[in-house]
Amino acid sequence: MQKKNVLDIQDSSRPANTFDIPFGSNCVRLSGCEWVAVGIIFLALFYLGPMLWERSERFEPGLDYRLPYELSNDYWLYNRYCRWAWSRCETLVIGDSVIWGHYVSEHNALSHRLNEIAGRNQFANMGVDGIHPVALEGLLRYYGQAISGKNIVLHLNPLWMSSNKHDLQTDKEFHFNHPGLVPQFVPKIPCYKVPYSKRISAVVERYVPFFSWTSHLKIAYFENMDLPTWTMEHPYENPLKPITLVIRTSGSHNQNEHISWDERGISKEDFPWVRLESSLQWNFFQRSINILRERGNRVFVLVGPFNEHMLKGKSIDTYRKMKDEIAAWLQRENIAYYIPPALPSELYYDASHPLSEGYAMLAKQICENRPFRSSIFWSSSNFATPDRD
Amino acid sequence: MLFHTWPFVLFFLIVYPTYLALKGTRFRLTWLLAASYFFYAWFNPLYLLLIFYSTLLDYIVVARMAKSRRREMWLSISIVNNIGLMGFFKYGGFVTENLNVLLSSLSVTYAIPSPGILLPVGISFYTLQSISYVIDYYRGNIERENSFIRHATFVSFFPRLVAGPIERAKNLLAQLQNRPTFSTEDISDGLSLFIVGFFKKVALADYMALYVDKVYAAPEQFQSPALILATFLFCWQIYFDFSGYTDMARGVARMMGLRLMLNFNNPYLATDLGDFWSRWHISLSSWFRDYVYIPLGGNRRGTFNTYRNMFLTMVISGLWHGAAWTFVIWGTVHALGRFLTRELERTSFYKEKVPKLIKQLLVFVFVTFTWIFFRAESITDAWVIVTRIFNSGLANPHCPLLALAFIFAVWSYQLVYESKIKWVLELRAVRIVILVLIVLYIAIFATSSEQAFIYIRF
Repeated sequence: MQKKNVLDIQDSSRPANTFDIPFGSNCVRLSGCEWVAVGIIFLALFYLGPMLWERSERFEPGLDYRLPYELSNDYWLYNRYCRWAWSRCETLVIGDSVIWGHYVSEHNALSHRLNEIAGRNQFANMGVDGIHPVALEGLLRYYGQAISGKNIVLHLNPLWMSSNKHDLQTDKEFHFNHPGLVPQFVPKIPCYKVPYSKRISAVVERYVPFFSWTSHLKIAYFENMDLPTWTMEHPYENPLKPITLVIRTSGSHNQNEHISWDERGISKEDFPWVRLESSLQWNFFQRSINILRERGNRVFVLVGPFNEHMLKGKSIDTYRKMKDEIAAWLQRENIAYYIPPALPSELYYDASHPLSEGYAMLAKQICENRPFRSSIFWSSSNFATPDRD
Repeated sequence: MLFHTWPFVLFFLIVYPTYLALKGTRFRLTWLLAASYFFYAWFNPLYLLLIFYSTLLDYIVVARMAKSRRREMWLSISIVNNIGLMGFFKYGGFVTENLNVLLSSLSVTYAIPSPGILLPVGISFYTLQSISYVIDYYRGNIERENSFIRHATFVSFFPRLVAGPIERAKNLLAQLQNRPTFSTEDISDGLSLFIVGFFKKVALADYMALYVDKVYAAPEQFQSPALILATFLFCWQIYFDFSGYTDMARGVARMMGLRLMLNFNNPYLATDLGDFWSRWHISLSSWFRDYVYIPLGGNRRGTFNTYRNMFLTMVISGLWHGAAWTFVIWGTVHALGRFLTRELERTSFYKEKVPKLIKQLLVFVFVTFTWIFFRAESITDAWVIVTRIFNSGLANPHCPLLALAFIFAVWSYQLVYESKIKWVLELRAVRIVILVLIVLYIAIFATSSEQAFIYIRF
């Protein structure tokens, strides 16, 4: 008798009927019509949710407002602030931490100083801390649609072209500011190597206001954490408690530095400036100008003033040449601009950020600049003398 | 690519409409196979070589078996090949490591170099599925699949490729052989399954992981309350993670008119360990029952042999989960638990007098305890956790109450689902509200982390 193979022993019970498979182990099962109903409810919430929220949420920027440091990545709020500033201020001053005033309080930033000279609240501080030109282009394109038909002072901080790394052109990955605003696929940014899913999320967030709104909730109310992570930090707190429906108007970052760069021991440096024609940051700055002009804005470009006292070696000549090239391009494009001379050395905190007194001096220089006066202040009655009335 | 990521959404938006357009044609399966291979290659293109090799070999084995008298030889080739593949990639490092420990204990200075092989995603699942096909054919339970395309699609069908369910040819292959018929009910059911699975994974499992990972990464720094809660949360994390994956897989398949088997059936409501294993990872436990336990003799040769067979099956099952002694211990403890509950159920007191809820709680506590060995990084860590649970202090665990609230909400839902008031959950308003809340929570609050599925690494 043939020995039976161990696998010949069969289970006497046959598997159940092939198609007799239960739905699942819960009742969350909707029919087609019910799905349609859910879809309608959800679409309504998708569309109306952010709108209703905006009506309920108190946002009162006031004088000398600047986006709080902790909310620098809250682009939904920036969009809202743009609409507020558009309706109240004649001139929007846009740029990075130099405009925002990273080492000074909001009452010492450039826009405040300009308002002092103008004698009224004419200038709005639309600076975003840490935003480089590549990200700024994305910010203006996707969240700055409200900025139209206005006077714009658009600041270019040459620091962003001071090395391949600053210019986002290194092959080695590094984490730069505002990655959600830069082009996710084209053109390729060499040092940007996040997974595709993160890139797609960034794109979706730009085009679907609902998702930029959910980011706003996270940033504004949950300390820039998603809810689960927030509960890890606050395990016993009511997760609804932080949602106060009030946007803070000032942040915790409120430095007011008075010590200059050389007093802090920073030494001179031979900056490896990138070539302007191949600079990613410069290319995107040009795009930002185009976006603003296409929206009917009058753009005035402010370049620097970079702390030239920190330069040494060949970088001095390279920087001066770069400034000339920038000026030449702006002239060709018929864009009003001003490249102020370097401030006194003791008025800089670092390579690009002035101290309080530096901003005061810079504002004065800007207001004395003829192209600025004629392009931004189009009637002399709007413009006060350099000394405040 | 993982189900809960954007690349998968894009992938499905291309695959699904094309599948619908091709569903009545002979290109349907070719498209499905191409999509499955693309899906698998996304993890690593080299994996395709393996799955294609395994598929081709089993196809040839069954073809030869059909014409040969030496069927056992061909069967052995398939089993040795599949187990060998899985063994090589999965256990090579483990075997090397343990041999080196043995050599070291014998004062041998030579150390075998570690193979350093990457474990191909899903190999543990598709090899078992392929083995079941060959064995079922050998036993005469199914007909041979003549079409290589259909056979390959059965092995590599993308929704279940990387983490199951481990399908049987009688179910999935039979559906692939038939002309596809599906209705709007398939789409609505598929969507329901997918969304619930997505919620389980993104909103629940990944949430629990935040606390579990923190505690289990350094258990010696935590005291009893934190260790207990982390273990409790892991118990639910692994359930939400794995059942969530399966729900998504079933949902995707269902939208294509294909029905994958149920893999989880509220396992934490089990009243004994046997019941637990009929509710947890059903496709795996039934595979081991049909292809290991029963061939060993099952329960046909007396109590000792029954328990021996049960023990071996559970230990092998434990080892299947991972190449580490902790999984062996986990399987062993489960085997002992099965013995215990089996004997208890034989007593009239336990069977008739102990309330069902108490039985459920006892089983739950036991299963939760065994998860320590499953999750711990090493035997040492598992030992630290077990001992510290019983003899460390009572420091504040800082465990998020919201996570616990979610668990109790789900647990309550499951209890009601298996009770006489199940009808409440079936009310239209209740179903719709639950789904809207689920979707809203996912859209607004869910964690932004992209944790991989736990079982994808087995």
